[in-house]
Amino acid sequence: MKINGVAIEDTFAEAFTMRVARLLITGRTLGWAREAAVKLTGFATSVIGCKCEAGIERELRDDETPDGRPGVSVLFLTMDKASLPEQLIVRVGQTVLTCPTTACFDGLPEAPDRLPVGRALRVFGDGFQASKVIGGKRYWRLPVMEGEFLIEETFGMLKGVGGGNFLILAADADAALASAEAAVAAMTGLPGVILPFPGGVVRSGSKVGSQRYKNLIATTNDAFAPTLKAVTQSQLPEVVNSVLEIVLDGTDGPSIEAAMRAGIRAACRPGVQTITAGNYGGRLGPHHFYLRKILG
Amino acid sequence: MSDAITLTLMTAPTQTLVADCIAADRFAALSAQAIAALPVVHGARPATLGDFFRVRGERASVVRIEGDCARIEAIGSGMAGGELVIDGSVGRDLGVAMSGGRIDLRGNAGANAGGAPAGAARGMTGGEIIVRGSVGDEAGARMRRGLLVVTGDGGRGTGKGMIAGTVVVCGKAGSGTGRFLKRGSIVALGEVERPATFRYACTYRPPHVALLLRYLGARCRLDVASAQVTGRYERYSGDLAELGKGELLRWVGE
Repeated sequence: MKINGVAIEDTFAEAFTMRVARLLITGRTLGWAREAAVKLTGFATSVIGCKCEAGIERELRDDETPDGRPGVSVLFLTMDKASLPEQLIVRVGQTVLTCPTTACFDGLPEAPDRLPVGRALRVFGDGFQASKVIGGKRYWRLPVMEGEFLIEETFGMLKGVGGGNFLILAADADAALASAEAAVAAMTGLPGVILPFPGGVVRSGSKVGSQRYKNLIATTNDAFAPTLKAVTQSQLPEVVNSVLEIVLDGTDGPSIEAAMRAGIRAACRPGVQTITAGNYGGRLGPHHFYLRKILG
Repeated sequence: MSDAITLTLMTAPTQTLVADCIAADRFAALSAQAIAALPVVHGARPATLGDFFRVRGERASVVRIEGDCARIEAIGSGMAGGELVIDGSVGRDLGVAMSGGRIDLRGNAGANAGGAPAGAARGMTGGEIIVRGSVGDEAGARMRRGLLVVTGDGGRGTGKGMIAGTVVVCGKAGSGTGRFLKRGSIVALGEVERPATFRYACTYRPPHVALLLRYLGARCRLDVASAQVTGRYERYSGDLAELGKGELLRWVGE
């Protein structure tokens, strides 16, 4: 299979079941909502080192938010149920609560699993906090120096999907980067998906474990590192000199598929040789995204 | 089972009619005959609901009342769920001791709407009462939880002794509004007289008021000006003669 002359390898991306929450952050301006969201989702690229993965899903118009102000939708994922509220409480408390003009609302109101994020953060009010029930939902009002911070008492949690991916194998680094940028542009704003890495792109894909250091859980993906082609069991063709990876997390499989479809099509540009995907032989993750099936 | 139950006033009461049997959640399990047989008190004499109302529909938690019920008291008393829509004015004690559901009144209400039964410590403990008109004295008195919205004017002592919850008055709030407030919010979009035991805190844009007014606009189709949604409010803390954790929020403009 080829798209614009780029070979689509007959393989699949292997992804994992994660726990996901969606937060709607609003602000006096979109800029302030973004400021909070960027801080909230900082250092949240991979569960390997950050214990969570997060990113901005999309920007919200003022008619899409509960309080009628512009906002940002954020997806937040962890590997297990227990660590999602832990991460959210710490991060929302240090980034959204602190950011001028913002408020924080649940973006998964139908989810039966509820995380008591607002309930935990209310104690910052030191007894001066107050709650309000509006439309059957409880909100907490925390008095702060600026005025008041408003946060929903609980946030929904669903099973999500983490680790959808594809790799761009290109003739040189410039072509790989241009291709990755085009893919990210095509996937940005699609519903139910985030790209947790910087600019949506990973240059340092990893393999499980280490050949040399026993205590490391992840080390460089030497099979796809072009500088190691001559000294390792490389999976790179001779003409490939740079590889970039796009990693996707989302609320569900169809959202990941739709984003991969858009991203891969956009990534098939001049200078790109092959699009492939990372997997562990299907042994670790229950979600398998077959590239040719998605693009078919 | 019907989509809704409609009570149409056929015989106007000549004296005060206490109809505390009318509650949407109570009707949800009753046939039309059983609803008509519910007891009411006309003057001091026992009667049945069917003596005054024609009942259409059965076993529904959406109830509509048609007719001028200005002499009928205690409608929605103790209601715990469902929806009660009243086309016309009602007497005192609307939604008294209510704990859930919604009452949507397209008319005026008498005294003690959403308040407490005589001698009780607590008024309504949940649910929503929307009055698209004015209310009599002591609406929302001793409210523990819930929402009371008055699009017209509030009487004397609106929200008196509130323990928590929210009262919104779009028109002029009567004297003594918020007096003895422990917790809870009174949002005054119109003229309001601040009790002497309330102290000015600040002027700001309360985020929960924007959320609440947007909710009322969307869910209850209330006509709320955007200047009130996004506007500035003076916050008065009170009642400082009581617990002092309540607030009176007075809209002061954009």
